[in-house]
Amino acid sequence: MENTVVSKHTLSFGLSLAVCAVLNALLVIAKEERKGVVDGMQKITGHQWITHVAIVLVLFALFGWLFGGMNNGQGPKMPVNRLTITILAGVVAGVVTIVGFYLIAD
Amino acid sequence: MKEVLLLSHVLFGVAGIIATVWLFVDVLNANEGNRVRIRWMSRAAALFLWVAFVIGGYWYVADYKADKAVILKGPWPFAHNYFMETKEHFVITLLLLAAYLPISSCNNLAANKEARRLVLCVAALVAALALMAEGHGAIIAMGVKVASLGTPH
Repeated sequence: MENTVVSKHTLSFGLSLAVCAVLNALLVIAKEERKGVVDGMQKITGHQWITHVAIVLVLFALFGWLFGGMNNGQGPKMPVNRLTITILAGVVAGVVTIVGFYLIAD
Repeated sequence: MKEVLLLSHVLFGVAGIIATVWLFVDVLNANEGNRVRIRWMSRAAALFLWVAFVIGGYWYVADYKADKAVILKGPWPFAHNYFMETKEHFVITLLLLAAYLPISSCNNLAANKEARRLVLCVAALVAALALMAEGHGAIIAMGVKVASLGTPH
């Protein structure tokens, strides 16, 4: 019989990846649309882009850890094929949002 | 020094793409014999792309300001306004995908078709975004070049 089990971290960090890809794009829009956001991010590390990267990386680690703690520490329960589609959808949505936003804004 | 940084950035980016494509092919033919190699190639791809990102990020923060001013005064301002603005943000997603490659590759890919499909999907996304980043980088460099020459080619 075909094995369909993957590690807890494959599921939790996969979900985190999909979420953070979208959040990354939303943070881009927030920075470009609200000057206060980019000014605030500039103050935190001295460069808004470094702050942006740090926020996304921290969220990726945080969500991965939080999702891994679901179901009494067993991690999320979902079929691997659904995780694959979720990652694909999250990454494509995030990248298309960034590319589309600058196409319109430019 | 600036040129060495830029060349290293591109070099590690290309190495990351090659390692990712290698991983993709190995995962297509996943078996007990290439299980260890798959894990090491996923780590190598992630490492190369992270190093490319750190070098590129350092250059962007420390040195790009002068190039940006040149680009914006030249005939290709979109090289910054569109291509650099886009690249500096989608590469963050690429960084996450690269970090996820070794995590998703740690499963038994030889016996698990769904896990294999997951790694193939992630590797394909990494390769596509990394190639996109290389193309954007080329246009940014061309933006500096045409501005320095004074006429578009």
